[in-house]
Amino acid sequence: MIQVREVTKRYGAKTVVDHLSFTAQPGQVTGFLGPNGAGKSTTMRMIVGLDAPTSGDVLVNGKPYASSKAPLHEIGALLEAKAMHPGRTAVSHLLTLARTHGISRSRVDEVLGLVGLSAVAHKRVGAFSLGMGQRLGIAAALLGDPAVVMLDEPVNGLDPDGVLWVRNLLTGLAAEGRTVMLSSHLMSEVSLIADHLVIIGRGRLLADTTVADFVTAEGVRVVTAAPDDLRALIAGPGVTVTSTGAEELFVAGTTARAIGLAAATRGIPLFELTPQNASLEEAFMDLTHNAVEYEATR
Amino acid sequence: MKITPGGVVAAEWTKFSSLRSTWITTGISVVLLIAFGVIASASFTGDNLSAVDLALSGSTLAALAVGVLGALLGAGEYTTGMIRATLAAVPRRLPVLWSKSLVAGAAALVTMTAGAFAAFALGSAVLNDGVGSVGLGDSGVLRALLGAGLYLGLVAVLGVALGMLVRSSAGAIAILAGALLIVPGLAALLPDSVSEAITPYLPSNAGSAVMALTQGENTLAPWTGLAVFAGYVVVCLAATAYRLKKTDA
Ligand SMILES: Nc1ncnc2c1ncn2[C@@H]1O[C@H](COP(=O)(O)OP(=O)(O)O)[C@@H](O)[C@H]1O
Ligand SMILES: [Mg+2]
Repeated sequence: MIQVREVTKRYGAKTVVDHLSFTAQPGQVTGFLGPNGAGKSTTMRMIVGLDAPTSGDVLVNGKPYASSKAPLHEIGALLEAKAMHPGRTAVSHLLTLARTHGISRSRVDEVLGLVGLSAVAHKRVGAFSLGMGQRLGIAAALLGDPAVVMLDEPVNGLDPDGVLWVRNLLTGLAAEGRTVMLSSHLMSEVSLIADHLVIIGRGRLLADTTVADFVTAEGVRVVTAAPDDLRALIAGPGVTVTSTGAEELFVAGTTARAIGLAAATRGIPLFELTPQNASLEEAFMDLTHNAVEYEATR
Repeated sequence: MKITPGGVVAAEWTKFSSLRSTWITTGISVVLLIAFGVIASASFTGDNLSAVDLALSGSTLAALAVGVLGALLGAGEYTTGMIRATLAAVPRRLPVLWSKSLVAGAAALVTMTAGAFAAFALGSAVLNDGVGSVGLGDSGVLRALLGAGLYLGLVAVLGVALGMLVRSSAGAIAILAGALLIVPGLAALLPDSVSEAITPYLPSNAGSAVMALTQGENTLAPWTGLAVFAGYVVVCLAATAYRLKKTDA
């Protein structure tokens, strides 16, 4: 479990993370989303103690990360920038990390196999492609059989096969009861993998929700011969009906099914009945629209 | 599975030994030490230098080379981004500095001690007639040769500390070269009274005192000199430890 509690991070005068709180639970994939520059990488560096919060604190499995006797067993992290020396081979790179914890050579070979790098285990990582580097970073994250796996933009640089592989890997890890957290600036990369969404913009929490809840906030477009009758029929607490054209209504707060059934009981003809589930991507854009750090000038 | 001090040392040894650049730099250091010693021994015809002084005449360049070795190891963590993986695995941080220093220092100590003895043995064989040869049993000889290994081992530690302090290879090497080579030259430009008072305490002069068979009048006693140099290394390590612990990686 990762608990981020009222964390603020300032670099000089610039506040990069602003009173951010959220929890990533075991057994779930938490998608950590936000536009570029939102503070995702900074937050992740704070989780593993590389950057110190200006205020607030972070707990990993209930305790501060630095106090752990076996940090690699608590959390395995892939951070955004390649954290490896180009002159080492893949095996040597993993061994330098494994040795600190007395992790065996056979485990090193095992994680290399798991990420599909066995064939290049003795190649220098300086010659690796971006995707191979990501795979090696994921291997390093899995080295200590960690309770928490945290990956910063893991699908960056992966081909479609690789993206699918990461998706299966992460859902598998969560199914084993581990806490899985991955960041992205693209909703499409996360929506298929994540159960839980934490969305930030300019360092602030914008939404802490589930993928399902995040999209059902939309409505239904209805085209009917008798808009006024239909409006009277379906009006009720929690249901808002707006007229969007001569024969058109936009209904929020109820389902297409309920509207269709109600209309049928009164014989109101419907020409169109379309759930307007704005795509996750659109919903994400709407939410973060005002929090984009570098926006194209219009 | 847990972090142990021995594990962190083993990890640092793996880092050291898995880079081609470390072997090359170490090799160059040994070659410089031996080659300059042998060449100086073979070509010197005066009578004011001992066989040991001649054998160790490569120590200045060897010091620079092992210092570079340490600096590359230390700064390389930062220039490559490896430091993030390193510190995520060892979040207490300071064991990394101690272990890296230990590994670099021990590697330099062993290879440079061997190099000093080799330079002495080979150099003694090619001495000119005018230079009196000395044996390992003669007063100060063993101390000078072992001292050379210790001094050069400490220089490697200084390199590691500087590399991790300034986090840039070029910066660390420049500071190292400045401290070991340029500062003594600058001190000579000061008024004589000042210059004479501080010259023996300058890093390379203090450290070299342990390698001199006979002490000149303006040098520290052998072990005092080495202790002064060790003091510089400790101060630098302390500054590095402070920065490592207090700042974001
Ligand atoms: N070490 C640093 N010093 C100063 N500013 C930084 C530093 N690290 C990140 N930032 C700034 O913090 C903001 C958030 O960065 P980051 O956490 O990398 O965002 P994200 O990963 O969401 O794209 C950016 O504006 C970035 O320029
Ligand atoms: Mg980022």
